[in-house]
Amino acid sequence: MPSRSGTRRKASRRAILKSALAGIATLAAPPVLGQAKAHVIVIGGGFAGATCARRLKAADGTIAVTLVEPNARFTACPFSNAVIAGLRPIEAQYFGYDGVKQAGVDIAGQIVVAIEAEARQVHFADGARLDYQRLVLAPGIDIRFDALPGYDQTAAEIMPHAWKAGAQTLLLRRQLEAMADGGVVVLSAPANPFRCPPGPYERASLIAYYLKTKKPRSKLILLDAKDTFSKQRLFEAAWKTLYPGLIEWVPLSGGGRVIEIDAKTRTLVTEFGSHLADVANVIPPQRAGAVAIAAGVADQTGWCPIDPHTFESKLVPNIHVIGDAAIAGAMPKSAFAANAQAKVCADMIASLIRGEDPREVKLINTCYSLVAPDYGISVAGVYAPRDGLLTEIKEAGGVSPLEAPAAQREAEATYAQAWFQTITREVFG
Amino acid sequence: MTRPWSYRGISHGMIVVALLAVPIQAAAQPSSAAACSGCHAPVNDGPVPGLIGRPAGEIVTAMAAFRAGERTATVMDRIAKGYSDEEINAIAQWYAAQGQPAGNP
Amino acid sequence: MTRALINTPKQAQQGEVIEIRAMIAHVMETGHRRDAQGAAVPRNIIHRFQCLYDDVEIFAADFYPAMAANPFIAFSTVATTSGVLTFAWTDDQGTIQRATAEITVV
Ligand SMILES: Cc1cc2nc3c(=O)[nH]c(=O)nc-3n(C[C@H](O)[C@H](O)[C@H](O)COP(=O)(O)OP(=O)(O)OC[C@H]3O[C@@H](n4cnc5c(N)ncnc54)[C@H](O)[C@@H]3O)c2cc1C
Repeated sequence: MPSRSGTRRKASRRAILKSALAGIATLAAPPVLGQAKAHVIVIGGGFAGATCARRLKAADGTIAVTLVEPNARFTACPFSNAVIAGLRPIEAQYFGYDGVKQAGVDIAGQIVVAIEAEARQVHFADGARLDYQRLVLAPGIDIRFDALPGYDQTAAEIMPHAWKAGAQTLLLRRQLEAMADGGVVVLSAPANPFRCPPGPYERASLIAYYLKTKKPRSKLILLDAKDTFSKQRLFEAAWKTLYPGLIEWVPLSGGGRVIEIDAKTRTLVTEFGSHLADVANVIPPQRAGAVAIAAGVADQTGWCPIDPHTFESKLVPNIHVIGDAAIAGAMPKSAFAANAQAKVCADMIASLIRGEDPREVKLINTCYSLVAPDYGISVAGVYAPRDGLLTEIKEAGGVSPLEAPAAQREAEATYAQAWFQTITREVFG
Repeated sequence: MTRPWSYRGISHGMIVVALLAVPIQAAAQPSSAAACSGCHAPVNDGPVPGLIGRPAGEIVTAMAAFRAGERTATVMDRIAKGYSDEEINAIAQWYAAQGQPAGNP
Repeated sequence: MTRALINTPKQAQQGEVIEIRAMIAHVMETGHRRDAQGAAVPRNIIHRFQCLYDDVEIFAADFYPAMAANPFIAFSTVATTSGVLTFAWTDDQGTIQRATAEITVV
């Protein structure tokens, strides 16, 4: 390919130029010049990227940090299931970038279309380019519109995924509102790994809450490509008491895997039958955001292998991957985890730029789910790098107790809300 | 030659910037404490207690009680078990050194 | 034993190649686990699957320990005459789970 060889030629010329400059810098004042010139680009202003950009500035004010994010407003997924159930306005999910800007981060309202890893340069959709010393990729997920026959962008306008918050969330909400009492809502959940492992089950719970209170003759079928899921015993016990007979969960071994979608008839086809839905929510297979694939940091699974200490890509040097896009071992794809990884990654990049050895750090994840507005359950874990992977510390973590007084479920619902407020304040406030 | 000279000029400027940055770096939150701030806000105004400015001994005692299952908890009992005395101490020391929290009851 | 699922076309043209899917939900014991007393828990997996088309075996499979807990099997056959497809799963305890499906060939 002619363009590629051109690129390489350019890259090597730049490399020579850079080493010439480095030589001069060493004579003048070795560590300081390198440090002051450091520029880190962070792609993606979600829970991972926005956290990382701010934390980099806080860790070392001399690092120039550019956050690339095309949207002026971020729409958060956590608690978007409550929006779908009519318990919360979508406006409560919106966050701007003023706080990030005030922290000293430059914001580029752009989409990154290509990354030249050798030249350490990113290309924007408008043709502009920007050099980096280290790059952080935090693009979240993309829906795999090639994975489920019949489920493409057009089908998603009829059978929403609502797995990226915003217009899709509102579409599903409107469809539920428009559905007649006695209707059948069908959800489908993908195989692992995917964004927010307890998310489909929280969604089923809150939709059931809406149906029970507003359309009590309706039914919800949850078709699953798995035989087990996050916080399963807690969810199932709560469904039995709160929504008896309303939710039918069909596991993989019960023929729950959806293999085809017919949007025209709103039908979900499984290996052993088909389900006609009045409202259908297809949560399809996912992969790392397209820019990660373009950068060559994703492997054949569609996700990005990383070093568990520094979050540096195992495939391309000087690129770090955090949040949902990364293969973070035992850590789930959650906003809590994205935020925790981002902080550690920022600290590690700051020490790498200073020429220090990164230290080992533990990470935490806590995911709350609402089964009803006043009924919260959680799963928590503590993680550390072990044998090249982020591994869960055995003695710690676990889920809420199966037997617990109503007050504890209520407390966890309150803590869930408090968590969302705290984390969004830390990231965007 | 003018080039090395101008570089030296720039690097002096950089040294000033770097020195100014040192106190900021010293005050930066240690990575291990970063995990806490996902839930524990800097402002003490929610149901989850703030940690900033809290005496180190108080944090250490609370964590030991959570770890031993001697204090009622929702998630802290599960999280405390993942940390050693040494790690808890370091986190507690840093939070204690952060002065007064905003809105401490 | 447990629940079995099958998916066959209800009707087919004579000579048509049809796809058949079968799955069983079976609580597997790998044979590698130990109980609370430390004794080995005996292996119990589905070790044989068989499909008969009007009493003639048209497909069979032997399974070994690397098999998944709830084996899913898909295979093809040729629709010859109207009749009954019989499926049988046998586990290590000797329990046989059967399921049947009728097919009309036109
Ligand atoms: C229904 C639902 C409920 C959930 N509930 C919870 C919960 O209760 N708790 C929890 O912890 N997690 C929850 N999650 C998971 C959580 O939303 C994700 O794990 C989290 O958003 C991941 O953060 P991220 O930064 O990796 O990705 P995102 O937050 O998605 O951010 C990615 C950002 O990158 C930008 N971007 C993408 N490509 C480019 C590009 N090429 N150039 C520039 N910018 C780009 C996007 O515009 C976006 O702003 C939930 C998810 C869903 C769907």
